[in-house]
Amino acid sequence: MDVNKTYKGVALQEVLTLLQQHENTSKVIAGGTDLIIQLRECKVTPQVLIDVSSLEEIKGIEIIENRVSIGAATTFTQLVNSPFLNNGLEGLKEAAKSVGSPQIRNIATVGGNICNASPAADIIPPLLVLDSELYISDINKSRTISLEKFLIDKGQVDLKTNELLCHIQFNNIKNNQGLGFSKLGLRKSLAIARISVAVWVEVEENTYKQVRIATGACSKLGVREREVEALLLGKPVEEKTMQLGAEALKTQLEKRLAGRKGMEYKREAIQGVFKEALTKATYLSKT
Amino acid sequence: MKKRGIGIGSTFYGTGYGNGFPDVSKAIVELSQEGEIVLYVGATEVGQGAKTILTQMAAEVLGVSVEDITLVCEDTSITPDAGTAAASRQTYNTGNAIKRACENLRDEMIKIAVKQLGLNSSIGVKVENKKVYLNIFPDKKVSFKEIANLQGEETLKTEGIFTAQTTKMDEETGQGAPYWPYTFSVYGVEVEVDTETGLVEITKAVCAQDVGKAINPKLIEGQIDGGFAMGLGYAIFEDLGLHNGEIKHNRFTNYLIPTALDVPDLDKIIIEAPETTAPYGAKGIGEPVMIAVAPAILNAIYNAVGVRITEIPITPERLLKAIKDNGKNKLEEGKI
Repeated sequence: MDVNKTYKGVALQEVLTLLQQHENTSKVIAGGTDLIIQLRECKVTPQVLIDVSSLEEIKGIEIIENRVSIGAATTFTQLVNSPFLNNGLEGLKEAAKSVGSPQIRNIATVGGNICNASPAADIIPPLLVLDSELYISDINKSRTISLEKFLIDKGQVDLKTNELLCHIQFNNIKNNQGLGFSKLGLRKSLAIARISVAVWVEVEENTYKQVRIATGACSKLGVREREVEALLLGKPVEEKTMQLGAEALKTQLEKRLAGRKGMEYKREAIQGVFKEALTKATYLSKT
Repeated sequence: MKKRGIGIGSTFYGTGYGNGFPDVSKAIVELSQEGEIVLYVGATEVGQGAKTILTQMAAEVLGVSVEDITLVCEDTSITPDAGTAAASRQTYNTGNAIKRACENLRDEMIKIAVKQLGLNSSIGVKVENKKVYLNIFPDKKVSFKEIANLQGEETLKTEGIFTAQTTKMDEETGQGAPYWPYTFSVYGVEVEVDTETGLVEITKAVCAQDVGKAINPKLIEGQIDGGFAMGLGYAIFEDLGLHNGEIKHNRFTNYLIPTALDVPDLDKIIIEAPETTAPYGAKGIGEPVMIAVAPAILNAIYNAVGVRITEIPITPERLLKAIKDNGKNKLEEGKI
């Protein structure tokens, strides 16, 4: 059945009411850069579309005390241009900058990228290493869930049909912390990530006090690489540590992608991508 | 680690259908009742600039500006066949046909002017600025409009036919002279290879292209830029993903072509060595400008990382594997 009704929401309450009314027949649309393709290919068949792209309550970036809050309907262009994200968060901006083309970045949203849950989603690895929490509402209540738990499987997230992802929040970055991102695409723009890596570090006395690593396009969804993180914890900032992490990631991919066509390439290439992300994160933690 | 290398690729390419195949271009030029020049030609414009340079050639013969010529193109009901826009042949083959048609018209107009002005001969009679005049006594002149008026209802129309000269090569030995003329081209490129990911970036490039004579240098630069981008995509991006005959990369999401960011500035050197049988010496360059790009890139990769690639496109996956295999072989041979 074709879409026979579309709503353009202007207030959050109104949208949540509509979502409740059309609980099993509706889809939320923001930028539509993924959804329109899925509609054309009949992979989803909603009768009702609820447009949240003009919903001011869930757009834009705010700093609330030590937390950064990103509205789910914030576009990648807005994220890239935001004056509220300080230098340490460069990796987040870089990931946003690497999405598609300027046209796509102008309409595609952070929330859309998360809810579409592509294994190659560019914004997911940096948000994972920031320990992001998602604020989700329906007409009756609100809840929070970590991004990591929210992602269930490829294209599958913990979001009920009457719920809306409203905000993404994480702790603002401190002076001795840095977020680096590196993406391997097959060309310089309009490229889907073959591999992406985000690294978040806290450095004290030239030692990794905290390390968080997430990879994209290396699993059925964006994942935290906790085993590798544990390995680097407390290690000095030096070439050897970087090599240790790179080799550990290689082993992870060998296990995870065993028997798959891309494994042989990815286990090699991820090392270079990881080293770049770690180098950037470390640099940002010192400046 | 990122490693840089440079490579050169060169080619010579026979334009036209060649091998004795009949390669004929026709053109018609008309002096309309209003005294305007109308050019009829079946050459197809596919963005290469054929319409512009063919009009330029006609304007040159008839001593008028390109704005004074009305071009009727690509309408098979009224234009003669100029063959395909293929084999890099329109500049040379159809250019020759147009030049001949226009020379015939010019000669006809001179004949009429000689008679009309009561001159002894056609010596020193020039055609310029929409008039025919005696160079040593310019007041002796007759305008295109006046010549058209003299024609009455029946307009003055001339044809030009050009048949390229090629011979069939010996099928047994492959010997002979199957093409004429040839176009020569050299590319030099610098690449940066990431030895950890297999990514190749083309950082610098230069092309020296023999064109015979540059009828329109800007359009030639455009053709070289286009050929370079196409050759670059052919060398490192465009992978059909064939599996048992099935094209897996059947959309532009996975069949990648270069974006503006992937193509570096190309330094272009136009070499002019006029070809005697060509219109004003000009030869076609449409295909030649893309041929040597991939060999130059592969040579540069060899120079950078020491691996000889014999299959394109050289995707990061294939290159990284080749680099690793090369390292293993050297290790086994005890070279490193």
